Amino acid sequence: MVIENSLPVLLSRLDFAWITSMHILWTPLTIGMSWLLFFMELAWLKSGDERWYKLNRFFEKIFIINFGAGVATGVTMEMAFGILYGPFSQAVGPFFGNILGFETITAFMYEAGFIGLMVFGWGKISKGMHLFATFNVGLSSSLSAMWILVANSWMQTPNGVVLKDGLFQVTNWWHAIINDNFVWGFPHMWVATVELALFLMASVSAWFILKNRNAELFTKMLKPTILALLVVTPLQIYIGDSAGQDVARTQPTSLAAMEGHFHTYLPDGKPNTDWNLIAIPDVEAGKNLFAIQIPHVLSLLETHTWNGVVTGMDQFPVNERPDVWVPFYAFRAMVGIGFLLFFVAIWGNMLRVRGKFTATELRKHPWFLRAVTFSGFLPFLAIWTGWWVREIGRQPWVVYGMMRTYEGVSNMSITQEVVWFVGYIIFELVVWAGAWYFFTRVIQKGVDGIAHSDTLFHGHDEDHEASQAGGGHVAPTFAHKPMMHSDR
Amino acid sequence: MELSTDIVRIVSALSTWWWMILGLMFLLYIALDGADLGAGIFALFSKDEDERGAIMASMAGFWDGNETWLVVAGGVLFGAFPLVYGSAFNFLMIPLMLALWGIISRAIAFEFHIHARSSKRIWGWAFALGSLTAPFFAGVSLGAVLQGFPMKSGIAMQGIADRGFTTPVMHYSGGAMDFLTPFSIWTGVGAVIAAGLAGGLFLCARFLPGDVIHERAKSWTNWFSFLALGAIVITLVWSYAIFPWAAAKWTGPNWWIWAIWFVIVLFFAFKSMTNHSMQHDFTALLWGEGVVVLLWAAMWATMFPYIVPGTWTVHAASNPANSMAVFTLFMTGFVPVMIMYNWYQIWVFRGRFTKKSAYGAH
Repeated sequence: MVIENSLPVLLSRLDFAWITSMHILWTPLTIGMSWLLFFMELAWLKSGDERWYKLNRFFEKIFIINFGAGVATGVTMEMAFGILYGPFSQAVGPFFGNILGFETITAFMYEAGFIGLMVFGWGKISKGMHLFATFNVGLSSSLSAMWILVANSWMQTPNGVVLKDGLFQVTNWWHAIINDNFVWGFPHMWVATVELALFLMASVSAWFILKNRNAELFTKMLKPTILALLVVTPLQIYIGDSAGQDVARTQPTSLAAMEGHFHTYLPDGKPNTDWNLIAIPDVEAGKNLFAIQIPHVLSLLETHTWNGVVTGMDQFPVNERPDVWVPFYAFRAMVGIGFLLFFVAIWGNMLRVRGKFTATELRKHPWFLRAVTFSGFLPFLAIWTGWWVREIGRQPWVVYGMMRTYEGVSNMSITQEVVWFVGYIIFELVVWAGAWYFFTRVIQKGVDGIAHSDTLFHGHDEDHEASQAGGGHVAPTFAHKPMMHSDR
Repeated sequence: MELSTDIVRIVSALSTWWWMILGLMFLLYIALDGADLGAGIFALFSKDEDERGAIMASMAGFWDGNETWLVVAGGVLFGAFPLVYGSAFNFLMIPLMLALWGIISRAIAFEFHIHARSSKRIWGWAFALGSLTAPFFAGVSLGAVLQGFPMKSGIAMQGIADRGFTTPVMHYSGGAMDFLTPFSIWTGVGAVIAAGLAGGLFLCARFLPGDVIHERAKSWTNWFSFLALGAIVITLVWSYAIFPWAAAKWTGPNWWIWAIWFVIVLFFAFKSMTNHSMQHDFTALLWGEGVVVLLWAAMWATMFPYIVPGTWTVHAASNPANSMAVFTLFMTGFVPVMIMYNWYQIWVFRGRFTKKSAYGAH
């Protein structure tokens, strides 16, 4: 049996897969949504339109629950490399460790340093300062995504290093940071965060219009969101295609798994250009038991030529091949969702062009509203499946072509691995269920309870202020002069 | 002078530099989040959810920043001393896992408690219990690290055939429960006592005199002051007895520095207690934090040149020269920046609270 398929190795992978899969449910929304909140706040300050303030404060409630869940699951991530993959962490320390260090110092802390101001700073700091805090949360969370993608994409294409004395020593920092996979991998992930946030906010807005609650207000939200999606959804398909070609060039085993592509050449010696729509792969036997195939599509997709050679699984020894089932179907799910979301964006914009974007007109198109509401869930699934393709496609390597996964696993017994797995199933599910329960509570409550923005800066009555914003502050005994004056 | 000796000197200077920054990051974590965690331990004894809500509100604007110093400490450890990061965390799997569960419970309780109606009690307890288990298991981890751990090279993971995988890097090679000793359990208790004291001082400074929380935090702090003094003495005597590296340093030719240091610690503790009894609450908190700073610096200095006593020296555990140089060049400048914006955030949310100021809608 291939060593990678033994129980301890599989469990160690499951341990890490579970905590990362449950963590990625939160952070992309934080990243994308922080920018949208910034633009809503900017729109409010520029136009003075109270509706933008209301929408901002409403979506901010979802944002902060999501952020809390992201922090709760994220602290584990930062320690899990050392706990579960100690020897890996030691070997990649000179590069990967540095990058994770960069991330905590320039992004993780940067975000934490401004999130409190953004969420609790309303009325306590000036409007300009608050906008600045929101901007910093957006910038820092995007920076965080960039560093994490630098680290992960380097594991896919480990450029700029040599393995010496058991350590990955850096020979060229630029090649290692801007590695092959990063060039398209980071834009792909970053645009996914924006697409997710846009769809989630569109989804909530559509639900409100459908229920005829504050329908005018949420139409104001839905309109620019749908317009932005007309740009974002096809852009993501284009970036995804470029990323796919990059994988074909730099990680042929991963691509072969994604496409269920076992044979490089047909029996008659010609390049195998068949693209499998669906297949029943048999990894041990090195072939598909059944497949629906379309000729030339594979070559078109990966090489952009009619008969280009695409390297298949048969070019690699059995112990260097990844599993096929998950990458193959997860990849199809991701691509399918990408196109479906593009279609929803086109549908919405056709309605918009035809002047249907008023609350009353939209309510005459309930199926569109239902489709948008449903679309809010799909990007989560697309992000999950995309990462599964990436991570399972890289196997059996933890650092592609250089270090095998089992070489990087910590000194753990099966009992330890099971305890970790079961414990985190319980904790992460509680986080997930709780957060989604409170999302629905916040949405049920709606926008009507949100006070007018005037109350932020004019509340002199103590009781009133206390009920407004977690305040109840009186003059501090140790700080006589307020540092900043409220912007009235 | 030879170029190679120059490089050796530079690396050793850089690794010492990052060893000090690492100490600073851990210090900021225990000094800042210690108070938040202690306030959470205090909340274990709260009678109702309004009180727990008020305690959560008192740290709402900055608890996340405080907690993140731990993540930064982890990042610095990974970035500068990955050999320690990859072996010590493996050794500490169980206690770190339990501490992380505490941190998770706490973090979600902050967000869920305000929105909850019928489940408010559950999140109140999740906050308080998480605040207890996190410092306990962090303390256990610290005690375990002071005792060191065994290592070997080759394949680390259990239960698979070693197919000739070789590497000169030393991995953790002990068992899952090696961390558990009487001393490490004691340091866990000690960490809870220290956090409890910091939490009491914090709550006194944070709530208006006369408020029900302020009143209870006052007597809580009195009790924990004596507990903490006892804990310091016990820890010092115990460490002297079982750690030859500590005993050698404390009774070596520079014994008088350690003696003076100890007198300064006692002076700071005394100032904290007198300020507390005079209800100079914020000043008392600062003197108390001073004790933490002094003790942490003393511990760090006692361990030098080891980063994990008897296991990893600062020099042997550090990254290769060019990684250290890059890390230094690009990251050192951010350290004061991080401290500045965190200070600003805490400053914005200064001021006293009362129990009725619940954790309002945000």
